[in-house]
Amino acid sequence: MRARLPWLFLLLLTLAACGMGREVQRDEYGTDDPRELILRQTGANPRDAGLIIFGVDRSRQDGGAGPGGVAVNAFLWRATLETLSFMPLASADPAGGVIITDWYTPPANPQERFKAQAYILSRQLRSDGVRVQVFRQVWRNGQWVDAPASAATNSELEDRVLARARELRGMVASR
Amino acid sequence: MRKILLGTTAVVAVGFASAAITPAEAQTAPTVRIGGSIAAYWGYAQQRGRDITTLPTAITGLPTTAIGQALNLERPTAPFVPPGNTTQGSSAAYMSPHDFVVLPAINFNIDGKLANGLAYGGAILLNMNSMEGRNIVQRRASAPRTTVSIDEAWVYIRHPSFGEVRFGDEDGPMGGLMNSGWITGFGTGGVFGAWEQVATRAAQNRTMTAPAGLGDNSKIVYLSPQFFGFDFGLSFSPNLGEGGSTGCPNDVASGWCDSSWAFRGASAAGITAAGGFLGARRNEYQVALRYRGNFEGVGIAATVGYIGSGAARDILNGGATIKTMRGLSVFQVGAQASYAGFTVGANYSTGAFNWFWGNTRVGDRDAQQFSAGITYTAGPITIGGNMVTGLFEGGSRMSVVNGATGATAPLPFGAAGSAMQRRWGWGIGGNYRLAPGLDLIAEYAYHSIREPFVTPAVGSTTNAAGVVQLGGVPGQRASSSVFLLGTRLAF
Repeated sequence: MRARLPWLFLLLLTLAACGMGREVQRDEYGTDDPRELILRQTGANPRDAGLIIFGVDRSRQDGGAGPGGVAVNAFLWRATLETLSFMPLASADPAGGVIITDWYTPPANPQERFKAQAYILSRQLRSDGVRVQVFRQVWRNGQWVDAPASAATNSELEDRVLARARELRGMVASR
Repeated sequence: MRKILLGTTAVVAVGFASAAITPAEAQTAPTVRIGGSIAAYWGYAQQRGRDITTLPTAITGLPTTAIGQALNLERPTAPFVPPGNTTQGSSAAYMSPHDFVVLPAINFNIDGKLANGLAYGGAILLNMNSMEGRNIVQRRASAPRTTVSIDEAWVYIRHPSFGEVRFGDEDGPMGGLMNSGWITGFGTGGVFGAWEQVATRAAQNRTMTAPAGLGDNSKIVYLSPQFFGFDFGLSFSPNLGEGGSTGCPNDVASGWCDSSWAFRGASAAGITAAGGFLGARRNEYQVALRYRGNFEGVGIAATVGYIGSGAARDILNGGATIKTMRGLSVFQVGAQASYAGFTVGANYSTGAFNWFWGNTRVGDRDAQQFSAGITYTAGPITIGGNMVTGLFEGGSRMSVVNGATGATAPLPFGAAGSAMQRRWGWGIGGNYRLAPGLDLIAEYAYHSIREPFVTPAVGSTTNAAGVVQLGGVPGQRASSSVFLLGTRLAF
């Protein structure tokens, strides 16, 4: 085991050099800072707490409420609306962070139609803060019947939402 | 949840990697945030073996200046006297079990971002708790407890794809940043919590072998990004000094000896001199490998790591240096799991270290320590318990030292005169969250130290072979039972 550990470190070091890792945030490390410990244990965000004595409080932009002051991330909310805007919107519930589209038939293929539901799950701009579920139906024997949608479609839409949210955040931060 | 830990790694790695290449980041001016915390507790403490004293520890042949240092000591000059006995140990005070304790802290956090995606900043943590950790022997010459001191001060630079470097007075990867299995998320931390702020420090009855006890000695730390659930950390520190001291002004042990590789009295500096950062530890390095994942809703974290160091040499009368201390060589493994509000974990450490993460002397036994705990959170309420037990060389330092040559030899384990310090503690507690940043706490902790195999000799003796043997003390126990009730506020 001891002999293999250096090789494992070397492998990870190589991956780091290739820039293939996920950024680890400060709150993923342990601490003996009493302020940080108390804030973590009582459900507060150390990035939100305290008094800004210089600069702009961007944490509130990152984790701020969406429309109507609800507890979803504003960037994720806007990015999801924009990403799904090619489909007709059936309902958007900012209080619960739920967006539901109506059925949409691609012009290129009138034999199938799609419907999407998106859930904004986080106040933070996180990769796991949005979930998209796509439903598909095909025209068969004179009626619409359910058909499985590609699993990759959900992930692709989520990735597009995340990319757009990141752009929106960058636009705000650059002001 | 599928993206949070394991699953996220690959997906998010692509996202962040592309972001690192694409100059889409906007440069932002640094934000300076001031925060802090106040903890106020009523403490009720019952202690045994709490005499305040200073004791000489001598190695014949070493300079007498090493004698009289209040280092590495845990024993009173008089044998332990049970409570209720009218004959108290020498220099023992009669203390009330009740007291109020207030623990303030102020934080400054600086965070900014460059146009190329580099995040940067730093942190300064000011504590007003200077009395803790000090064995007050000069009494009125000592600073009051509320004196402001710097606990941590460090600068960081972080790249989203290449990781983070921290430089300054900060914990290391195995000093609290990446450890797993230490369950302290209830009360004030149970047996690793604030009971130490209430119990009198005499007899060195402190847990102090939690990760953060390794110290905030000035170091440089690298923390990697996460790959497929794994991340790792490395750190190096040239010595035990915080803030960087200037080294010994002469050859005598002092609180400024941090950069000295040899000084008189190093043999008595295995355990950090409280308040002075005097210690024999040199060239400390830490390596940690951590895994975090999520399996069917069960969050898993596990860490393996190593802590190594060298040790300062002592100086004999003739000016020659002698290696009397061993470096740290500690392997640690820990794991924890979380599910449905429960978190359970355990941690095991073994290798060359003494309690308080001190350096052992040549010939001393290796140490072992095991800790485990559990917490449960339901709404605003968190309850939990933890325990720690360990075997250490202890404070009696029963190694044999040849006074003429400085040669050392170990005593057989368990033999008369050899040391075996056993530490045992446990704690239970609960929190009730009133608001984010504010909670109420009730906690009980017990901690004890025993050295059962030590001979009753006091002072150094010379055996038939002319070998000088360090003094021993009667088998004794120091213990603390502390109940805490109070509140904490952080902002």
